[in-house]
Amino acid sequence: MSRIFRNPDVLWRRESEISEGVPDEGDVAAILFSGGSMLSINEFGLELWELCDGRTVDEIVTTLLAEYDVTEDLLRSDILEFMENLSQKGFIRYE
Amino acid sequence: MSNIQLKAPLTINWAINNSCNFACSHCYSREDTNDELPRDLLYSCIEKVAKAGVFSINFGGGEPLLRPDLLDIAAFSSALGLRVSMNSNGWLIDSEKAEALKKAGFTKVGISIDSHLPDVHDNFRGVAGSHVRALAALGYLKEAGITTSISTVICRINSSTIDDLVAMALAHGVGQLNFHNFKCSGLGMANKDDLDLTPEEWKVFYRDAIAAKRTVKDLDISLDDPIIALLDARDAGTLVKGSVCGKLSLNIKANGDMTPCGFIPIVIGNIVSDDLHQVWKDSVVLEKMRNKEPTGKCSGCSKYEDCLGGCTARALALTGDMNSPDPHCWGSDAQ
Repeated sequence: MSRIFRNPDVLWRRESEISEGVPDEGDVAAILFSGGSMLSINEFGLELWELCDGRTVDEIVTTLLAEYDVTEDLLRSDILEFMENLSQKGFIRYE
Repeated sequence: MSNIQLKAPLTINWAINNSCNFACSHCYSREDTNDELPRDLLYSCIEKVAKAGVFSINFGGGEPLLRPDLLDIAAFSSALGLRVSMNSNGWLIDSEKAEALKKAGFTKVGISIDSHLPDVHDNFRGVAGSHVRALAALGYLKEAGITTSISTVICRINSSTIDDLVAMALAHGVGQLNFHNFKCSGLGMANKDDLDLTPEEWKVFYRDAIAAKRTVKDLDISLDDPIIALLDARDAGTLVKGSVCGKLSLNIKANGDMTPCGFIPIVIGNIVSDDLHQVWKDSVVLEKMRNKEPTGKCSGCSKYEDCLGGCTARALALTGDMNSPDPHCWGSDAQ
């Protein structure tokens, strides 16, 4: 299975400090920026983004399944949708 | 998404000098101060910017290459993790300089070219031979491995030559062709009757430019004007609605004064003495730009949510009110 890597040309920064409470799904946690393309992501997206360090989707699913009270199918579906968005913008690459 | 408030600008447009070897008919900064921050003070300001989380600096001027320590400044910025780019007229870029720019960390350099016709460009820029040297600069930069773009200020001398400008860009292998909207700032204001288009002419230009953007391959045609929302053509990749000035980017002048953009002459702080985060967060002027209220024909227009009244600099320059509809706007569907 392909391994996922962040594109090193993408600049990114955390926008908000990690709060003790449960973050709102719509809260902007970080900004990704490359050339004219940019993306704001929430805490879940940021967690996924930080896991794009050469892991496979299966490994990311396993990592997060222990953390979230959600079915594996739903988690996998959310992860794949997010990765598709990142891939379309050229923010990640598969090897 | 339109109300996203970033903790700091993504990009700083930094005019590090105001000296220039050209005499352009639309120059926005000819009357600006010639005070420049000395290098060590500028370094401390750049450190502040990097620490604040800014991603990139786009150096401008004046002509930035007339600043003797530009390469050192770029290398310093680059070493801090900032992505460094520049806008230049290209006159001073030869093969050796292009290599030096690459070594200093420049990833992208935009060259200003206002016509595909040498005589028209040279006359507009006030320097004979400038077109030839601008095109040559593109070649040197490309050879050095720097991404290039052409910046064209759209006005009466070029608005009907989109195909020719595109052909010129393609022939010189640039990655991006930026069509900048004409601003009534500095000499642009003094010469606006000769240079600016009518709202109907802007509509025709943007209709044709959008068509070119959608059909031309191997070239990114960039249109930075919020009023293209009227043609349902706003870039879906951006984080904010309306103008990006004061929302994603900030301008710093040669003396350190911060303004929302290079075309709005309202000083909101100085990078030497003020805290960037605080200015970015608390400036009343930026707050007003981020929360514009529809007035006049913008009231009730279904496109307002996307265009937010268009270019704030133009509205302010021609009406004195940031909330006024962009004078370039050709219409509204308000009932």
